[in-house]
Amino acid sequence: MHCVMPVSAARTWRILTFVVALPGVAICMLNAWLQKEHHSHKPEEFVPYHHLRIRTKAFPWGDGNHSFFHNPHTNPLPTGYEKAGGHH
Amino acid sequence: MAHQTHAYHMVDPSPWPLTGATAALLLTSGLAMWFHYNSTTLMALGLLTTLMTMMQWWRDIVRESTFQGHHTMPVQKGLRYGMILFITSEVFFFIGFFWAFYHSSLAPTPELGGNWPPTGIHPLNPFEVPLLNTAVLLASGVTITWAHHSLMAANRNQSIQALTITVTLGLYFTALQAMEYYEAPFTIADGVYGSTFFVATGFHGLHVIIGSTFLIVCLLRLIKFHFTTAHHFGFEAAAWYGHFVDVVWLFLYISIYWWG
Repeated sequence: MHCVMPVSAARTWRILTFVVALPGVAICMLNAWLQKEHHSHKPEEFVPYHHLRIRTKAFPWGDGNHSFFHNPHTNPLPTGYEKAGGHH
Repeated sequence: MAHQTHAYHMVDPSPWPLTGATAALLLTSGLAMWFHYNSTTLMALGLLTTLMTMMQWWRDIVRESTFQGHHTMPVQKGLRYGMILFITSEVFFFIGFFWAFYHSSLAPTPELGGNWPPTGIHPLNPFEVPLLNTAVLLASGVTITWAHHSLMAANRNQSIQALTITVTLGLYFTALQAMEYYEAPFTIADGVYGSTFFVATGFHGLHVIIGSTFLIVCLLRLIKFHFTTAHHFGFEAAAWYGHFVDVVWLFLYISIYWWG
């Protein structure tokens, strides 16, 4: 017989932690990693839409043209991808 | 000899409310100086004074409660009301940003292409890292409940272990979000989609950092024997705040990541 009822609430939540919560996180980690491997995509083609890449006021850092988390590979400037990023 | 004949806490005179107000003034004027006059001095001073005020004010509260015993049951009840009211005010803060998101996304203007997501925007896949982030925050809710029950059951090792895992999950969420922010194909400057996405998730991320910091302080206090099995309101307040942050994320995930 292996059916032992958890006596204390602490024991219940400890079991939930190691049987449900943390394995759930592990499964989602695996899923995210596999999906990312599956589509190593090139950056989207650049279309100079007027409603995107707004520059009404310059950013108060650097040259004022790059967002804070700017990624040259995936974030084109209003004029297009920079030479360093973009196309392989 | 005069002595206190009531259960309440008449706090000793303290400089921290004044330094806090000064810090707020320095921060706001500093922000204006940074945006319009390319100077970061005032803002740096503001950040420093804010940090010093917080550390010293809360240090004094720990001294008054844990070491001087001023937090009687009526005082604790007041603190509970206070934390609940504060979290409620933060809920309304986020309601504003959800309002902005729904205003823009339910009736997308012709300038965006008349659709949502706007033309040219490629949203993140909600079933990749955002789903992992959801699992991480939900798991942290489970582990902090384990920590709380362990604390009430006087199980020192388990309460420390559980709270440590909780803190780790919070830091993991922050790291994942930072990576997502860097990898995203859209920025805050990409029209109203970028604005609503990064302001809503950005403020949420800031609250995760605040919650994680609160929990780290609780972990240090737990290790230093500050809490008893029946009196540990600081821990409960951190737990409430953590749950609030988790619920906000669930709304963000459903509205912006999934439906949006």
